[in-house]
Amino acid sequence: MNSYKFSDLSVGMSEQFETVITEEMIDKFIEITNDVSPIHVSREYAVAHGFENRVCHGMLFGSMFSTLAGVYLPGEHCLLHSVETKFSLPVYPGDKLTVSGKISEINDTFKTVFVKGVITNQNGKKVCKANIQLGVRE
Amino acid sequence: MTRDRIYEKMTEIFRDVFDDESIVLSDETTADDIEDWDSLEQINLLMAIENNFGIKFRLADVSGLENVGAMVDLVQRLVG
Repeated sequence: MNSYKFSDLSVGMSEQFETVITEEMIDKFIEITNDVSPIHVSREYAVAHGFENRVCHGMLFGSMFSTLAGVYLPGEHCLLHSVETKFSLPVYPGDKLTVSGKISEINDTFKTVFVKGVITNQNGKKVCKANIQLGVRE
Repeated sequence: MTRDRIYEKMTEIFRDVFDDESIVLSDETTADDIEDWDSLEQINLLMAIENNFGIKFRLADVSGLENVGAMVDLVQRLVG
């Protein structure tokens, strides 16, 4: 885990990590949220509606921005204020995602950091992007 | 910049930050008058004002602001 303090951060700093979306992750997300929309539950249903496989919930892979902020950038001292997320492409079980973030702006007076987040799949296609706003605990 | 013009721009900023087109500001308006005006939105509001007016607050400037009237006075002082 990274432990950047506010004074360690600068515009342009970036971090990234990789994760693979599994059937088990999707099942656990369904168990937690009870989002049982058939597109997420049934491969047959999803394929019949034009998808390659059952579709991972956007809010599941979007939650990787929490990991990005809380573990990588800035890590330990993060206090997440907001994450505005856009989902561009479907994510399927087995997809290998690269979650990355780059600091776009820092407000010294209010100790606030803005991070542009991007998630790409194994084909280099952008599946999700986010504007992340966070504070850094002293 | 005139106080009226600052009020005009501040109203736009408040409506945008709080996503509420019905907001009407006066010198006496405080956080008690706008439901979503909490500590986090206060920071968002002040940063939006900085960006919009091209000014930079110091923490000492903004820590004692009592109401919108004080906020407008501060902006007018910094904008000139």
